[in-house]
Amino acid sequence: MSELLSDIALFGENIPWLEGIRSRGRNAFVMPTAKTEAWKYTKLHVLQRDDFVYAPSKFLEELEGCAEEECDCGCEHHHENEECTCGTHCHCAHRPKLYIDLPFDAYQIHFYNGKFMPLYPALPVGVEVMTLMQAVVEGEVQNYLGKYIDLQSYPFAALNTAMLEEGLFVKIDAGISLKKPLMFIYHTQTEQHLLSNIHNVFVAGKGANISVIEYYYHIGDNKDCYFNNIVNEFYLSPQANITHYKFQNEAFKAIHIALNYARVRENAFYKSFCLQKGADLGRNETKIDLLQEQAKSQVDAAYIMHGWATIDTTTDVAHLSPQTISDQLVKGVVGGQAKGVFQGKISIVKDAQATEGHQLHRALLLSDTAEIDVKPELEIYADDVKCSHGAACGEIDQDQLFYMRSRGIGEEEAKQILIDAYLLEVINRIDNEQIREWILSNV
Amino acid sequence: MNTLLKIEDLCAQVAGKEIIKNFNLTINEGEVHAIMGPNGAGKSTLSYVLTGKPGYEVTSGHIWFKGKDLLKMSVEERSREGLFLIMQYPVEIPGVPVTSFLKHAVNAQRQYNGESELDTMEFIKYLREEAKKLGIDNEMLKRPVNVGFSGGEKKRLEALQMTILKPSLAILDEADSGLDIDAIKVVSNGVNALRNEHRALLIITHYQKLLTYIKPDFVHVFADGHIVKSGDQSLSEEIEQNGYAAYTREQ
Amino acid sequence: MGDKAEIKQIIDESGDKYKYGFVTDIDSDTVPKGLSADIIRLISAKKGEPEWLLERRLKAFEFWQTLEEPTWAKLKYDKIDYQDLYYYSAPKQKAAPKSLAEVNPELLKTYDKLGIPLKEQEMLAGVVAVDAVFDSVSVATTYRAKLAEKGVIFCSISEAIREYPDLVKQYLGSVVPYTDNFFACLNSAVFTDGSFVYIPKGVRCPMELSTYFRINAKNTGQFERTLIVADDDSYVSYLEGCTAPQRDENQLHAAIVEIVVLNNAEVKYSTVQNWYPGDKDGKGGVYNFVTKRAACRGINSKVSWTQVETGSAVTWKYPSCVLQGDNSVGEFYSVALTNNYQQADTGTKMIHIGKNTSSRIISKGISAGFSNQTYRGLVHIAPGAVNARNYSQCDSLLIGSTCGSHTVPYVENRSKTAQLEHEATTSKISDEQLFYCRSRGISEEDAVSLIVSGFCKEVMQQLPMEFAIEAAKLINISLEGSIG
Repeated sequence: MSELLSDIALFGENIPWLEGIRSRGRNAFVMPTAKTEAWKYTKLHVLQRDDFVYAPSKFLEELEGCAEEECDCGCEHHHENEECTCGTHCHCAHRPKLYIDLPFDAYQIHFYNGKFMPLYPALPVGVEVMTLMQAVVEGEVQNYLGKYIDLQSYPFAALNTAMLEEGLFVKIDAGISLKKPLMFIYHTQTEQHLLSNIHNVFVAGKGANISVIEYYYHIGDNKDCYFNNIVNEFYLSPQANITHYKFQNEAFKAIHIALNYARVRENAFYKSFCLQKGADLGRNETKIDLLQEQAKSQVDAAYIMHGWATIDTTTDVAHLSPQTISDQLVKGVVGGQAKGVFQGKISIVKDAQATEGHQLHRALLLSDTAEIDVKPELEIYADDVKCSHGAACGEIDQDQLFYMRSRGIGEEEAKQILIDAYLLEVINRIDNEQIREWILSNV
Repeated sequence: MNTLLKIEDLCAQVAGKEIIKNFNLTINEGEVHAIMGPNGAGKSTLSYVLTGKPGYEVTSGHIWFKGKDLLKMSVEERSREGLFLIMQYPVEIPGVPVTSFLKHAVNAQRQYNGESELDTMEFIKYLREEAKKLGIDNEMLKRPVNVGFSGGEKKRLEALQMTILKPSLAILDEADSGLDIDAIKVVSNGVNALRNEHRALLIITHYQKLLTYIKPDFVHVFADGHIVKSGDQSLSEEIEQNGYAAYTREQ
Repeated sequence: MGDKAEIKQIIDESGDKYKYGFVTDIDSDTVPKGLSADIIRLISAKKGEPEWLLERRLKAFEFWQTLEEPTWAKLKYDKIDYQDLYYYSAPKQKAAPKSLAEVNPELLKTYDKLGIPLKEQEMLAGVVAVDAVFDSVSVATTYRAKLAEKGVIFCSISEAIREYPDLVKQYLGSVVPYTDNFFACLNSAVFTDGSFVYIPKGVRCPMELSTYFRINAKNTGQFERTLIVADDDSYVSYLEGCTAPQRDENQLHAAIVEIVVLNNAEVKYSTVQNWYPGDKDGKGGVYNFVTKRAACRGINSKVSWTQVETGSAVTWKYPSCVLQGDNSVGEFYSVALTNNYQQADTGTKMIHIGKNTSSRIISKGISAGFSNQTYRGLVHIAPGAVNARNYSQCDSLLIGSTCGSHTVPYVENRSKTAQLEHEATTSKISDEQLFYCRSRGISEEDAVSLIVSGFCKEVMQQLPMEFAIEAAKLINISLEGSIG
């Protein structure tokens, strides 16, 4: 992986502070080993291969070149630089069909094989979306980009930072509430072992309110082995609300590693839900700094897996101010030879009094070859706190199964109902009904 | 009058311990049988053996249900064939609403019988009507199965399931726990409403109390793993007065 | 409130908080400072050991030199200079005492002062046989004859090596091999004394067995080694207590306890650890690095660890159960109290291997002053461990805003039929509880110790009665000065 770092040409190599960040990433990147505590349970042997390629920019130019081509559907969305929403009539041979049908309305933003497709949705005033590199040139992002991420602790964020180029900068002005969610759709369609580093920065002004959905999926052969390495940074000004949904449904042989970092100020609320279902190795890591009083976070997750996959949910919530609140519910279902990993840390610094941090992880094992590894952690330096964590795992409740079968429901069906009900507890914590239904229909 | 259930020389064990020994019983359509016995005699074991609960192992003997070999059927097949056990302590199933639970059960049965599945609206309408008769409101139908239900509510839900699934043979296992009078009425009203010339009922109980609400045609005394005496309802009154000692001593 | 008042009185009378801080003035036989193969040969020779044991020691020492001191625990302490320690110190005695009458009276006085009965007399609370270990050697073991009537062997490990070489050779190092960890490896190279217990088939040990460890000499490490073997259908309850003088330097203690439990046998192991914790500014105190492990090898075997940890400047200790036998049971009950600048990183490991194994973990941590405490535990369910069960509960109580409390329970499950449940909470003594007590006329300090004793109750109940009283006193003494 390190060889890749030396021979790629990136945008903006003449901008000193950007190069400074990249070089910090290069210096910090060390592939975790079996002895790296944070990666104790998630083995990285799938990353041992040395044939990952970094998507050449040329590829994107090719696509851009044909963005002008005519489409004959004549729908109202069809004009320059905007994807045709009918999604069926695009006649450009090179251009993938990007717009996807969803049971809810959203501002769709597309990445194709790790590259942003310059098709901007028509956003209301007060919401700005630009490429990260444009934001770099305009100086908008300097106060945020990579400034607070401890790259020593997050090796893949270091890798991402070393190759910083792709991604978006999203800015929501104070007081703006976005009615529809902003939906980032990551399409992957490749036979190459493509490494994509995407780095997005979200800045929500005072009292701003948005929902962001990330949807990762693949087109084509399920055995495609690519590596999506994602970093998202969220900056919440006082009273801001960011609701972050994620559905990771990568190809079965893919690798997906993501770090979501949120800085939450007074009375702001970062709420997230992540469903992981795809990838050979999927790790969704969340780091939250609750910086001021009444800053709140809720980090929920569900995972469901079979085959040989490893799915890892790792969180670290730092209560850095008094009167901060965090909550977390993670539920998983593991079958086949799969391995579920949950690592959850709550830390409370000295003098962060009157804080509350709660966490619960529960997992269902469906087979004897499946494995669950759990490491919850409380690190507490203040006394006026209420903290708890719980973890439980076991198989499907035999009494419940018998009861259902004695009412005539077939064993397999009964099991499926119980599995769905198991995950329902966490999925029900999604406030938006349409998004909840969408997630449910994908379980 | 057709034979519904025929148990022949049944022996069964739980955790390696033989509880049912050479048990024989025949139940015909339309009949109500009561099995009475002292605590710990293994009466509940009989109901679990009949429904096929894992862990209850039949070591010898036969059970014929509607002429078919019951022991060869899975738990769900037995239910779909028309065997229904009203449980004393029904399990809680978080996350599964009563309505969807029952819809799955009803459609599984319909499919088994070669009938078309009910659509959701049709089913909900039907369910609400039946629920109303048992004093179950729509709110309760939305709650997860048995979660946070009171004892009475659980009984009502069991009665509702029986009404909906229309079993040929309902087994009422009292497990000798004290039911309050309202709960007894709920269950017995449900049971009595279902009685007709084709359905049969097996009541397993310690006390005679329930039998004043559901009048049995036959009463059997269960001790030492099998029936030691059979008679009509007067036998249950006799037991109420004299206790079980007389029957167990005979062994 | 009767008990409370009594305890309070004891605390007041004891004056100094650490009442075991005195030094016994006694001539000692000490080997030169430092650690080398020659020192190990010297220790082995002094103890008149067989060749096989010396070989084992040297092998361990060789391996130890390749190891690095572990750093994963949440502990901060000055680097230990292993060459600046004495590895053997024994009080001078004419010859090995044949009976208590021959034991140096200074030593008897010491144990008397510590409240440890070395006389074979009936005590109100029951009979306890004691093995007293003073620095590097066992100085006396009581009730040996009476125990021998039942076939129970209770003696120092040094004697056991000489007198029961077959038993020792079979089991020593079989639960904790010298390769296990840095401190266990060091112990395997230099261990000096400790206790040996063998309970024969079908015997229920007629009395509680107890070892009392005392570090006296300056700059001396104590490396004791305890081995308990419970043969088929046997039972024993074993108690361990420890104290050390008040010194400004840190003292090193690195022990190993190995327990082997065979078919249908049960061992109950209780510890009240009260090594000198250092003064209120964090000066001095014992560094306590202990490897304790029980192997439940037989079917239906059972081990129960109970510990009350109030002493030591630094504690690194994870009494564990390897549940190999089908239906075997492991239990861990712990109260750890840290005050001033004490640090404790403690917990347990439950390794489920056999079928239908079950384990239970109840850990209560209390942090006060500037102390830091970590519960670190592992529940591991191996692939064949059908129907394994574990329940873990780790509660932490913080007193004051300058201490820290941490919880790291690892769970590794490779068996579908396992049912594992873990709960942990961290909180402070609630203001409502304090107010309620105080509105009934109880002083704040008394209210705190009442609430703390309620918090620990589930664990304290596991201790044998005479130990429970002692432990309750200790907790109250250790809490002193933590309020206000």
